[in-house]
Amino acid sequence: MSRRRVTWTFVALVVGVVIASILEICIGPMGIPIRQIVPDTIAYVTGQHSTDALVVGAIRLPRLLVALLVGAALATTGAVLQAVFKNPMSDPGVIGVSSGSAMGAILTIQLGISATRLWARPVGAFICGIGVVVLIYRLATVRQRTNLYALLLAGVAVSSLCSAIITLILSLSPLQTMEEMLFWLMGGLDGSSWSEVLLLAVFVFASLVVFLIIGWALDIMLTGEEHAEGVGVPVQRIKQLSLGICALLVAVCVSTTGVISFVGLIVPHLLRGFVGSTHRYLIPASALGGAILLSLSDLVARMAFSPVELNVGIVTACLGAPFFLYLLFQRQRAWQRS
Amino acid sequence: MSLLRLRDVSQQPILEPLTASFQGGRVVGLIGPNGAGKSTLLKTIVGLLPATGGDVQVDGISLKKLSPRQRARFISYLPQSIAEDIPYTVAEFVQMGRYSRAPIWASRTTHHRLAVKDALALMGLTALAEVPLQHISGGERQRAGIARCLAQESPVLLLDEPISNLDVFYQLDILTELRKLAAAGYLIVIAIHHLEFALRFCDEVVVLKDGRLYTHGSVESVFTRDMLAEVFRVNAQLFVDPTHHHPRLSLAPLGANDSTNTGK
Repeated sequence: MSRRRVTWTFVALVVGVVIASILEICIGPMGIPIRQIVPDTIAYVTGQHSTDALVVGAIRLPRLLVALLVGAALATTGAVLQAVFKNPMSDPGVIGVSSGSAMGAILTIQLGISATRLWARPVGAFICGIGVVVLIYRLATVRQRTNLYALLLAGVAVSSLCSAIITLILSLSPLQTMEEMLFWLMGGLDGSSWSEVLLLAVFVFASLVVFLIIGWALDIMLTGEEHAEGVGVPVQRIKQLSLGICALLVAVCVSTTGVISFVGLIVPHLLRGFVGSTHRYLIPASALGGAILLSLSDLVARMAFSPVELNVGIVTACLGAPFFLYLLFQRQRAWQRS
Repeated sequence: MSLLRLRDVSQQPILEPLTASFQGGRVVGLIGPNGAGKSTLLKTIVGLLPATGGDVQVDGISLKKLSPRQRARFISYLPQSIAEDIPYTVAEFVQMGRYSRAPIWASRTTHHRLAVKDALALMGLTALAEVPLQHISGGERQRAGIARCLAQESPVLLLDEPISNLDVFYQLDILTELRKLAAAGYLIVIAIHHLEFALRFCDEVVVLKDGRLYTHGSVESVFTRDMLAEVFRVNAQLFVDPTHHHPRLSLAPLGANDSTNTGK
């Protein structure tokens, strides 16, 4: 991939993030003029809580930042998992972490803990998400070697089990709790808070740094595990580290916003055409692309049927499912040709 | 002094304890029928499969306690095949050989760039450096794999059947290149199925049978009718090609009547 093309892609992505951010803040039931964004933010920070300042500072800005951070997290996770599994159709769903986290969060709602303790839902999602990944990883690891096919199959099986448990809990729940669960299961960004922004920012930036450090090893692992070990890549350790961080990141995202699917699948796939498969470009590009996709999807979710607000997970699923089928179709054609 | 020394290296239950040592500047052929343990031995030496016993030493240094990265500075390894769908250019692929020597932030410094450039030049790939691996032939891909091993700057190269998927032109081409590398001081160990090429291009041969070391020595001492009959179950005739003056083998399946004469 030519250096010039990579540079222009990054310029376009940064401009895209700025535009998406401005749109997300300005457009809504209550319009905010562009020139008012900075003064309203300053007013909110300095404690002058006018209506406009509250809308920008307390509602739209944290919502935008959560969208940007979760989008970045999901897309980079997708890029990393696609390298680890050597499968361009992998995304956070495949290692079961999404469904595991969802099950954990649903359990805390069902048990009534989440209503009284704010930390309960994120912690529940996090514990179950990590628990599922550890279980799947142990199932697929024999003699200190992880069989990726076994990992994928175990992921499918455990995800199905988690989904079954979620359905069971839903069907046994009273109507009001069920509504809360369904709303959360579909993934949404409403009610995003500054504390969530802070939590996500810490995890997302720390993970990005680690992903960039192991980026070269991920590049090499795409050539095959034996090749990678031959040049000195500690393949097993990189796999553990990548899967662990991906699980952590997705669990934090799911505990904050609910299940948002397909971002991790679409974004890295689209950007490979522009920046290539080298992870030192693909990871930051995916972070920016994911941020753009989720913030624009949220805008669509908020405005498409205004005043009714959709869950952002519905929008990403509507985009992602046809894209997944398109990928499947492309691969089948490639197989037929070969 | 031996460059590579194997002391009771085993990979139970596939490979029995094996002891051998090899000097630099030689091409060593690893031969044996299918399932004899050739690939397993190579993978055990390089550490891809943790040995169930014994020790591997390069230049007197035991590789047992070394990390994969440290180990790669002593031994480079090329697996049987290089996938066709690798999404990198030849230069990017060869540069991966620098992983054990360069941290990511220094991989593009002059020294590392030079090492990659030299490896590409040595394997005649300079003109293809920026071409995607997907667009070159199988033989050129194999050359790129060897160039990647050279960029690793390790004194020992282990190649698992480097010519098995190539046409005869590239088979001869790769083996000729390996001889040149041995002349430059590298120790090249290749698993090879083609007995005639092993006879012609190797300095010494390790013969494996059923996971055991059958024999090890110079090609002249190892390639005997008895060895070929007992290990490969073929009736062999060794002769020198009158046109090219290469050692040749005429092989035929061992008949039922021949099996009684195969005692070593």
